Amino acid sequence: MSVEDPIRLLPRNMAAQRRVGLVTTPVLPIAGNPASTRLESGVGNCFPGLECDLRNLERRFFPFLAVDIDMNENTISVASVDMAALRDAQAAGTITAATAKIYRQIDSTGTSAAPWRVVTMHGVFGPLGPQTIDIASLGGSSMGPSRLPVEAWTAVRLLAEDSPIQLTLRRGQTSLTLAGQRTRYVNDDGSLADFFRTGELTQSLCSPWTHDFRDCGCYYWASNHPDIAMPPRPVAPSTDTAWDSEVVWERSNRATDVAPDASTLATATEGSGLELRHYEINQRWQELNFVVEGRELLGSYAPLRPMGKPLPDKSALIEHLKYAAGIELAVMHEYLAAAYSLQAQSPGPQQLLDDVDAARWEIRRIAIGEMRHVRAVNDVLRVLSPDAYVPALRVATRIPGTTSGTPRPVVPDRATRAAVASFIDAEAPSTSVDGYYSGILATLELFGLTVEAQTIRTVMGEGADHWQAFKFIQHWLSRHDETEYLAPLPPAPSKLARAANLVLQAKYLALLGALFDGYQLGLPEGAPEVNAARAAMRGGTESLDAAAQAVADAGMLVQFDPLTDPRFAPVVGPPP
Amino acid sequence: MTAVHTTGVGGSARRFRSALGEHVLIVPFSQVYDLPTRAAAEWDADPARAARTLAALEAPAAGEVALGEVPEPSPQSISLNVSSSCNLSCSYCYASRGNFAGRQPEPMNADTARAAVDRLLAGGDASAPFTIGFLGGEPFVNRRLVHAVVDYSSDLAATRGLDVRFSVTTNGTLLEPRDIELLRAHPFAVTVSVDGDQALHDRQRPKSRGGHASWAETVRRIKPLIDAPGRAKVAARATVTRAAIDPARLFRALLDIGFRDIGLSPLRKSPVGALEDADWPAYLEALIRLATEQIADARRGEPIRFTNLAVALKQLHRGAASPYPCGAGGGYFSVAADGTWYACHRAIGDAEYALGSNAGLSERKRREFLRERHVHSQTDCTTCWARYLCSGGCHQEKSARSAASCDFIRGWLDFCLRAYAELGPAAMPRAIPQVHP
Repeated sequence: MSVEDPIRLLPRNMAAQRRVGLVTTPVLPIAGNPASTRLESGVGNCFPGLECDLRNLERRFFPFLAVDIDMNENTISVASVDMAALRDAQAAGTITAATAKIYRQIDSTGTSAAPWRVVTMHGVFGPLGPQTIDIASLGGSSMGPSRLPVEAWTAVRLLAEDSPIQLTLRRGQTSLTLAGQRTRYVNDDGSLADFFRTGELTQSLCSPWTHDFRDCGCYYWASNHPDIAMPPRPVAPSTDTAWDSEVVWERSNRATDVAPDASTLATATEGSGLELRHYEINQRWQELNFVVEGRELLGSYAPLRPMGKPLPDKSALIEHLKYAAGIELAVMHEYLAAAYSLQAQSPGPQQLLDDVDAARWEIRRIAIGEMRHVRAVNDVLRVLSPDAYVPALRVATRIPGTTSGTPRPVVPDRATRAAVASFIDAEAPSTSVDGYYSGILATLELFGLTVEAQTIRTVMGEGADHWQAFKFIQHWLSRHDETEYLAPLPPAPSKLARAANLVLQAKYLALLGALFDGYQLGLPEGAPEVNAARAAMRGGTESLDAAAQAVADAGMLVQFDPLTDPRFAPVVGPPP
Repeated sequence: MTAVHTTGVGGSARRFRSALGEHVLIVPFSQVYDLPTRAAAEWDADPARAARTLAALEAPAAGEVALGEVPEPSPQSISLNVSSSCNLSCSYCYASRGNFAGRQPEPMNADTARAAVDRLLAGGDASAPFTIGFLGGEPFVNRRLVHAVVDYSSDLAATRGLDVRFSVTTNGTLLEPRDIELLRAHPFAVTVSVDGDQALHDRQRPKSRGGHASWAETVRRIKPLIDAPGRAKVAARATVTRAAIDPARLFRALLDIGFRDIGLSPLRKSPVGALEDADWPAYLEALIRLATEQIADARRGEPIRFTNLAVALKQLHRGAASPYPCGAGGGYFSVAADGTWYACHRAIGDAEYALGSNAGLSERKRREFLRERHVHSQTDCTTCWARYLCSGGCHQEKSARSAASCDFIRGWLDFCLRAYAELGPAAMPRAIPQVHP
């Protein structure tokens, strides 16, 4: 509330001091979104990339200047000069009086209607090397030997931190030259530089509750306001799978008693009447539900994940962690067998080649993720028993089942439909491997080992990502017949295959040996061994990857024989 | 000394004068301003302008909660009625020595206590401190449970990274060295019930068996803790009865024992000894006399030992303003031996105050309880300028509220406002170091 002629009271206690200025000082509007839309409070926390508009970093690429970069018009205009920082710099002697004078001229003569514009930039533009770029000339080809950045923002983006830049600015007939270093966007502690203003980095984000939503073609909206989502759970329990299908989030039919029609997903457009129109989004935005974990919510969120039951004591925790490392190795064995079995017959239809390629790379990515999990679990084990730590690299013989108490054997196989389905089961949230970890997590939390608990939480979170990825893989492969993408396996391996397999097994044993030594030494002492193991896995003709590919090419399933070395021998773990 | 100005509903400002000049307390959110001569003249000349100024100040500032709200915070504090008996038999005891007139016949068992702690720690704000108090009866009658609960809660606090603190109100006579160790080892607020000098104390707090000599026992057993408190903070709390309205005498006797924080509670509701209407002016005068001495000490840089004054100054300094006099039914509950959660430790066995159990709170009943006790619901409080500082006073003593007892509170707050203005905000850290925010 404002009062035009308040009686002037002098604050004495803290409650009064909290109000100093409340009556006499007008509220200053702050540019951009509210201060609450800071990086750490953004929905982007769960959806990287949406926490700020990264293009806004370049607003402050040049010392003391804030610029507006218009990507459509291909212009860089000076929006403001940070005169306070300039004065400080001059007082500190870090800029000369002559340079300060140029800045002051820009500050005093530039207007929003007729701003100073950057016309040329001289600097080192990343891979393009030293250049003097005429901003107006950009927009041509960005490929080939004499390529230039496609537009002004990309050009600025290529400038390396702290590298020297020279700008020519023009306003009307007047030109000025400024030299400086490309600013550092983060401080030494990794937080954003002080020169960014509140709201500056979020100011150009679309506002979720306007019809910006309707027009966005990004398809990566905030995780709680996506384009598509599962409808709210039915009020009465239902076995109808329609409730679990993704539907248009902005559908105009907001009924909650019947499952929305998932088939409208493909055909819904604004003109179809199936989706809310622009004006309707503004009118009915309160009917657009929040989405958590892919499903719309009507009431409060209640986590579905059952809390794991803590294990009885520390020794049980250690045993479970050891076996968890073994499980990671075991599923990795299965995933690699599947990945190397994918072999589209070439030449073939493009869709087949693309799908098989995507599936193979995704499975490999997941397998690499499992290796990281082995490392993570070992790190936790080291913390739990620093003196008695022995690297856990013994492969598990069984994988926890989807229902408690029914583990399944480890069966490396080609990427058959059945195998992919079993991978989805293994990675499914709350059961199987994830369920196994939940007890470990609960125990770590009980012991107050927050860092280690976070490590395990990350492992579990990645498991959820793997689960989703395997569902995509299943979808891609379902478009084709198994015979189209699976390499045939001869009943008996050829001599060539057997020879290739011997090489593979030897390399795998060597790899495990290096990992064992590296883990045993710990970091930083064990870094050379861990790096050697990593290098041995990927790249080059001598790598494990090449050896595995040779086995696959020779018509044999890529699998790793049980080892007799007690450090790596298969292990039967504790009950889940 | 003062002139009452009321503006808007219920009177939103109180002008008062100190040695420095004129000031004004803006009732909502307890804001204290200086009113320079010119401002005071403007105020008098143009009441409409004053009203507009006040209206602008009545809105909550950042971080403040609207005073009309009925908040339902998660409990952060509980007291456990660990014992249902006491080795003393003070005539004014609200708990009838812990059995609450037969409504709490048995002491609490460990399962009940643990369940209450579990419930508290599961539901509250993990980033804020939790407090677990021990009451009775005399809590150390059930020593084993006190120790067990402290161990249990401390372990939980350590594993979950919680800030769990403890409090106990004790007569001190049963304290053993192992108890002292327990109190020193943990963040304990220890309140010792001791009514001043030996003669007075022994008369008011006789032993239930074996004569009157409880004072010597209390002093002997509490002294080691006073001298070496460890992590504990030890305070004395004395009950003032109409038989001995002499705050200064009580205060000095307790200071002599060695207590550094001393609080006085006038007995308001009791079959015998409660202060009556005629007593309040004398009590106020005596209290102000004691407080004036303390203010003089504070001017010399000494901390204020009289906690009633220290707490009042702290509240005025911060601008504490609440529609409730205490946390009863809000952030605080008292768990009876049978596991029932009562809004207040003085109401054990009173169905009106029973708002839940270790299994959970009845939110409907709790909301009703809080709504009824909001100071805006107290017809005789809504127009009082002290309503957000006194908040209607103890729910249990509501029936004893009278014009005289309310005048006492207003008189005391008037004194404290003046004292606060004269001491000044800068003096607060030294004057009231023992009253932690």
